[in-house]
Amino acid sequence: MDKMIRKAGVFEIFNHWVLAISCFILALTGYAFLFHLEQMTGIFGSFAQMKVIHNYAGIVFTGSLVISIFFYLPESLHMTGDDLKWLSMLGGYLSKHPHVPPMGKLNTGQKLAYLGLVVSGIAIAVSGFVIWLMPGVKKYILLSHLAHNIAFDYIVFAVAAHIYLATLANPGTLRIMLSGTVPLEWARKKSPKWVKEMGY
Amino acid sequence: MARKALLISPELCIGCRGCQTACKGWNQLPAEKTKNTGSFENPADLTPIVFNKIRYVEVPSEKDPVRWLFVSQRCMHCDDAGCMKICPAPGALYKTKEGAVAFNKEKCIGCKLCVAGCPFNVPRYDAKDKISKCNLCEDRIAAGLEPACSKTCPTGAIKYGERDSLIGGSKKAGFAKVYGDTDLGGLGSIYAFKDSPKLYGMEENPQIPESIVFWHKVLKPLAYWGVGGAVAASLLHYVVIGPHKDDEEVKKDG
Amino acid sequence: MTNHWVDLKNADVILVMGSNPAENHPISMKWIMKAREKGAKLVVVDPRFTRTAARADLYAPLRSGTDIAFLGGMIKYILDNNLYFKEYVVNYTNATYLVNPDFKGPAELNGLFSGYDETTRKYDKKTWSFQMDEKGLPKKDMTMKDPNCVFQIMKKHYSRYTPDKVSSITGTPKEKLLEVYKAYGSTGKPNRVGTELYAMGWTQHTVGTQNIRTMAIIQLLLGNIGMAGGGMNALRGESNVQGSTDFGLLFHILPGYIPVPSATLVDLKTYIDKLTPKTKDPRSVNWWGNRGKYITSYLKSIYGSNATKENGFAYDYLPKLDEGMNASWLNLFDQMYKGKFDGFFAWGQNPACSGANAGKVRTALTKLKWMVNVNLFDNETASFWKGPGLNPKDIQTEVFMLPCASSVEKEGSITNSGRLAQWRYKAIEPIGQSKPDSDIVNELFLRVKKMYQKQGGAFPDPILKLTWNYGAKAVNTHLIAKEVNGYYIEELVDKKANKVVGKKGDLCTNFVTLQLDGTTSCGNWIYSGSYTMKDDKQVNMMARRKKDDPTGLGLFSDWAWCWPVNRRIIYNRASVNMEGKPWDPKRAVIKWNPNKLDPKTKKTGPGWEGDVPDGPAPPMADEKAGKYPFIMRADGMGALFGPGLADGPFPEHYEALECPLQANLLSKQRVNPAIKMFFDKKGGLKEDQFLSCDMRFPYVATTYRVSEHWQTGVLTRHLPWQAELQPQQFVELSEELAKEKNIKSGDKVTVKSARGEVWAIAMVTNRFKPFKVANSTVHQVGLPWHFGWQFPEDGSGGDSSNLLTPTVGDANTMIPETKAFMVNVEKA
Repeated sequence: MDKMIRKAGVFEIFNHWVLAISCFILALTGYAFLFHLEQMTGIFGSFAQMKVIHNYAGIVFTGSLVISIFFYLPESLHMTGDDLKWLSMLGGYLSKHPHVPPMGKLNTGQKLAYLGLVVSGIAIAVSGFVIWLMPGVKKYILLSHLAHNIAFDYIVFAVAAHIYLATLANPGTLRIMLSGTVPLEWARKKSPKWVKEMGY
Repeated sequence: MARKALLISPELCIGCRGCQTACKGWNQLPAEKTKNTGSFENPADLTPIVFNKIRYVEVPSEKDPVRWLFVSQRCMHCDDAGCMKICPAPGALYKTKEGAVAFNKEKCIGCKLCVAGCPFNVPRYDAKDKISKCNLCEDRIAAGLEPACSKTCPTGAIKYGERDSLIGGSKKAGFAKVYGDTDLGGLGSIYAFKDSPKLYGMEENPQIPESIVFWHKVLKPLAYWGVGGAVAASLLHYVVIGPHKDDEEVKKDG
Repeated sequence: MTNHWVDLKNADVILVMGSNPAENHPISMKWIMKAREKGAKLVVVDPRFTRTAARADLYAPLRSGTDIAFLGGMIKYILDNNLYFKEYVVNYTNATYLVNPDFKGPAELNGLFSGYDETTRKYDKKTWSFQMDEKGLPKKDMTMKDPNCVFQIMKKHYSRYTPDKVSSITGTPKEKLLEVYKAYGSTGKPNRVGTELYAMGWTQHTVGTQNIRTMAIIQLLLGNIGMAGGGMNALRGESNVQGSTDFGLLFHILPGYIPVPSATLVDLKTYIDKLTPKTKDPRSVNWWGNRGKYITSYLKSIYGSNATKENGFAYDYLPKLDEGMNASWLNLFDQMYKGKFDGFFAWGQNPACSGANAGKVRTALTKLKWMVNVNLFDNETASFWKGPGLNPKDIQTEVFMLPCASSVEKEGSITNSGRLAQWRYKAIEPIGQSKPDSDIVNELFLRVKKMYQKQGGAFPDPILKLTWNYGAKAVNTHLIAKEVNGYYIEELVDKKANKVVGKKGDLCTNFVTLQLDGTTSCGNWIYSGSYTMKDDKQVNMMARRKKDDPTGLGLFSDWAWCWPVNRRIIYNRASVNMEGKPWDPKRAVIKWNPNKLDPKTKKTGPGWEGDVPDGPAPPMADEKAGKYPFIMRADGMGALFGPGLADGPFPEHYEALECPLQANLLSKQRVNPAIKMFFDKKGGLKEDQFLSCDMRFPYVATTYRVSEHWQTGVLTRHLPWQAELQPQQFVELSEELAKEKNIKSGDKVTVKSARGEVWAIAMVTNRFKPFKVANSTVHQVGLPWHFGWQFPEDGSGGDSSNLLTPTVGDANTMIPETKAFMVNVEKA
C-alpha cells in the first residue's frame, strides 16, 4: 500500500462541506428566485420558506467562508515565480502533455479561484445582508442587488469549474475532502513543494 | 382584453380627497395617526395603509398668488413594471387581465426588492412585511365595478376606463401629451398634464433603475447560460484533452 | 337656490363669492367643471385662495366683510357701461317705479337712509316707499329717466362706488376688480347667463342679508334670474338645512315660511288680514295672497277636527311671540347666560363649538338646571361641565344623553339646496340604544301628553288636542310625509267646471287646491304635491327615480320632487320675453306654445312647455290674462329697490363690527346702523366685548370649513379616516405676516381675540396675501371651526375657533358675524 499523507484536517474537511452545502442550498434557492422555479417548492416548501432558508443558509455560508480564510488565504496570497509560469501555461489544462512548474499545497489556479471566491463570497454575503436587513434604502439595495448577482454569476461558474477540476479533471483529488489523506506519490506529483516542506 | 387605466387630470381635481377616504373604506385600511405639519397634505407619504393620496403642490403663478395643483399619487401600474421584474417570488406581483399590477400577500416573501425596482417609490410593506399598495381595486373590477377612487371622484379628475380611449379623449380635450402614454411600456395611471411633469412633481422620463435593466438583460441570462456553459466546457475538456496528467506520469509514459 | 345643482352646468359665468364649493360642496364642482368644459368662466372672489380658487379662471382677493363695496362697484360698472339687460329691467323689475320724493340715501345722509332713529337703532321706513297713482298702483317712468325712479336713485347711490374707492376698501387690486366686473358684466346679454354661488361667507356678517341683496340686484340688472344657468344660489351648509328651514326650524317661521304669530295678532282673521300681502294690480299673481289658505290648512293639519271655523281653527293654540321679540340664536344664548332658562335640548347640534363666541355659550350652559343632548356622539356641549377651565363640582346642570340614529339608519326625506326633496331608505338598523329622532320626539310627546292628561296645567289644550298619530313607538315617516302634503277633508268640487277635484280623504294634488274654509289640511304648503294621488293610489313623488332629461338642461323633472310643484327653476317666467319666447332659445327653461299638444286629450291649445312654469297664465304681452314674472312679490316685479329690510332699501357698505379701519371710507357710519349691539358705550357683558381697530388685535380673521370635516367635527373627528386628513386646528397666514411674526409653517401659535384664544398649527402660505387697504397693509388670517377639546381625547385636535368670534348678528336675520373679526397671532 502506498504511503499516505494528510493534506486536510478533519475540521477543514467539515468546514468545506458546510460551505459547499450552504452554497448549494443558496444557489438552488437563488435560482428559484431568479427564474421563479416553482418546482423548488417541492424541496423547500414555499417561496417564503425559501427566503428564510436562503437567509439562514447565508449566515452559515458567511461563517464558513470566514473560517476558510484561515485555511486558505495565506497560502493563496503567497505567489512565486512558479505561479507565474503556471499561469502562463494555464496550468497545462489545455495540453495533453503539460509540463507544469512545481506547486505547493495549492496550485496557482486554486489560489486564484480561492481569492475570487473570497472576494465574491464577501460581496455576496455583504450585499445579501444589506438586502435582508436594510430594505429601506433604495440606493443600497440597488447596489447590493447588482453585487449579489454579479458575485452569484461568478460563484456558480467557479463552483462548476471547481467540481470538475476536483473530480473528473484531476482524479484522486476528491479524497482530500473525504478522508483528508492522499498517497504520498500522488501528492509529490501535484504538490511537490509542499511535500518537500512536509519533510518527505 | 383592452388594457384599462386611470386617467388623472389635476386640472379637474379639487383636492377634496374623497379618493383617499374611498380607498380606505373599500380596502378597510386603518387610519394613520397624523399631525398637521403646516400643510393640507396628509399623510405625508404613501404608507402600507395609504394606497393613494393627493399631493398638494404650490408653484409660483403670474396671475394668482400661487398656483395650487392637486396630484393624485398611487401605483402607476406600469406595463414594464420594475417591481415585477425584480420580484423573486412568483405570483406575489402579477398583472390582472386589465393590466393592473396586483399583488398576493400570501405569495409575497417580504424581501422588499420591489421597493428598489419601482421608479415611482410606491410599494410599501405592512407589519407582517408583506407588500401593500394600490391594486386598482382588483376585487371591485372583478365584480364589474370601477375602482373606489374614481367612483368617488366628483369632478372626473380620476377616470377609469379603456386606456386607449382615455388617452384619445384627453388628446381631444387639448392635452398634447399624456404622461405615461409610452413610458415604461405605457403606464396604467396616466396623467393629463397641462405643463411639464416636473411642475407636478413627477419625473420627466421615468425609468427602471439601470442596474436592474443590466441585471435583467445580462446577469440573469449569464446565470443560466454561464453555469450551463461551464458544465459543457468541462465535458468538452474531458473529452478533448482528458484528465490532467502530471509531469512524472508523462515521463513514465514517455 | 332659485335654481338647482345640476343647473350650474348651464352657466356662462359662475361667480363664487361667499362660498367655497370645492371644499364644502364638492359634488357641485362636477357641474361647474362641466360648464367650464363648454367654455364657462369660473370666477372666485375670496379673501383666501381656496381649493375652489385653485380651479378658477379668475381669482380676486378681497378683505373679509367688504362684499357690498365690491359688488356695489360692479353695479356701477354695469350701469356706466350699459351692460344691463334693458328689456328685462324695464319690464320685470321695479326700476321704473317712482320713489317717495322724501327718500334720502347714504350719499345725502352720510351713510344713513332717511328715517333713522339712533336711540332704537331702527329705521322708520315711511319714506322708503313708492309714489302711487289713483288706482293704488306704483307710478312708473318706463324711460327710467325720472330722477326719482328706482333706476336713477340706484345709479346715484352706487356712483360713489368707484373702482379706486372700492379697491381701497376691499384691498382688491383695481385690475382684478375690473376683470371680475367685465367677466360678470358680460352676462347681461340675452344669450349669456351668470350664476352666483354663496353660502355662509355672505350670510355670516352684520350685513349678511344685504350682501345677498346686492347680488340679487346685479342678477336682476343682468337678467339672470329665472334663467337656466342663472339665479341666486345659496349653497346650504348641511345636507338638509333647506329642509329644516322649509319646515320652520327657525323661531320666526312656521312650516312653509308662514310667519309665527305675535301676541298682537289676536285671532286668525287679524293674522290673515295683517300678514297677507296685497296688491291692487290684477296682473300681479301675488302668490302670498294665499297665505290665509296655508295657515288655515296648517292649523287643520296639526289640530284636525279640533280646529273648527268656530274656534278660529284653533289659532289660539299656536304659541305667540311678543311683539318685536327676537328669539334667534345669539339672543337665546344671551338669555341662557343671564339665567333665564331652566332646560335646554341640544338636539343634533354642538353649540359649545358651533356658537359664535363659544366661550360665552359654554358659560351659559353652566346656568342650566338640565340639558338633554341628542346626538350620535358625546361632544363638547354634552360634556361642557368637564371642559377647559371648568370645575365639575361647581356645575349643577344635569345632563341627559339620548343617542340618536344616523341618517342611514332611518327612512325619510331630505331636501337639498336645490329644493329637491329626495326620499331615502334605511340601510341598517340603528346601532345600540340609538333611535331615530322622530321616535325620540314621539316618545317625548306622548309622555308629555300623558302628564298633561294626568295633571292638567295652565293651558293643556295645545298639547292634548294636537293631531298625533304616527305610531305607538316607532314612527311611520310616510304618515308624516302624507300629513305634510295634506288631505282633502271634504270632497273638493270645482264649481265652475262642475268637476270633482279631490275626493274626501284623498291626498291633495298640490297647494293650488288648498282652501281657506278648513276643508283641506296641509302640514307645509310648499310641500303639497310631494305625496299625492295617481290613479287613485297614493304616490310618494319624492321616491321617484327616473332619469329622463328631455330639455337637456338637467332639469330631471322625474327624479324625486322639488318644491314648489316640482318647479326646478323658480321665477322661470322671467326667462322668456313678453311674448313667452325664451331669451335664450338654447337654454329654454319654459316657452309658450300657442299649439301645445296635450298628451292626455290629444288636443292642441296654447300652453307652456318645459319646466313647471310659475303659474299657467299666458305671457305678459297678453294684456288681460298675462301675469308678471315675480309671483311671490306683491307687485310681481323683481325688487331693485327693496324697502322690506331693516337696514335700507339699497345695500350700503359698512364695516364689520370688528375691523382694521378707524372709519368707513364711504361714509361716517362705520358699522351697520341697524344691528343689535350686545356691547356698546353703555356697557354690556365682558364676554360680548369687541375691539375694533385696536393695536392688540391687528389682523382680520375669518372662519371656514374644509372638505375633510363637517360642522363642529362631531361626526368627522370621530372618523379616523377624516381625522387622518385634517388632524388639528390650523391657522392660515401669509408669508409676509409669518415673517413679521417669526412664525414658520408647522409652528404652534396662539390666536387671540377680545373674547378668547385658541392654539393652532401655523400654515404659512401664499394663499393668503396682505391687503392694501386705505394705503396701509392689512393682514388677514383664517381658521377652520371643526375642532373641539373633547375629541380626540388626547386634546391633540385643538379647540373651536368660535371661541374667538363676536356676539353680533346681521341686522335682519341675526346670523352671527363669524366671517370677519379681529385677532392677534403669536408664536406659542
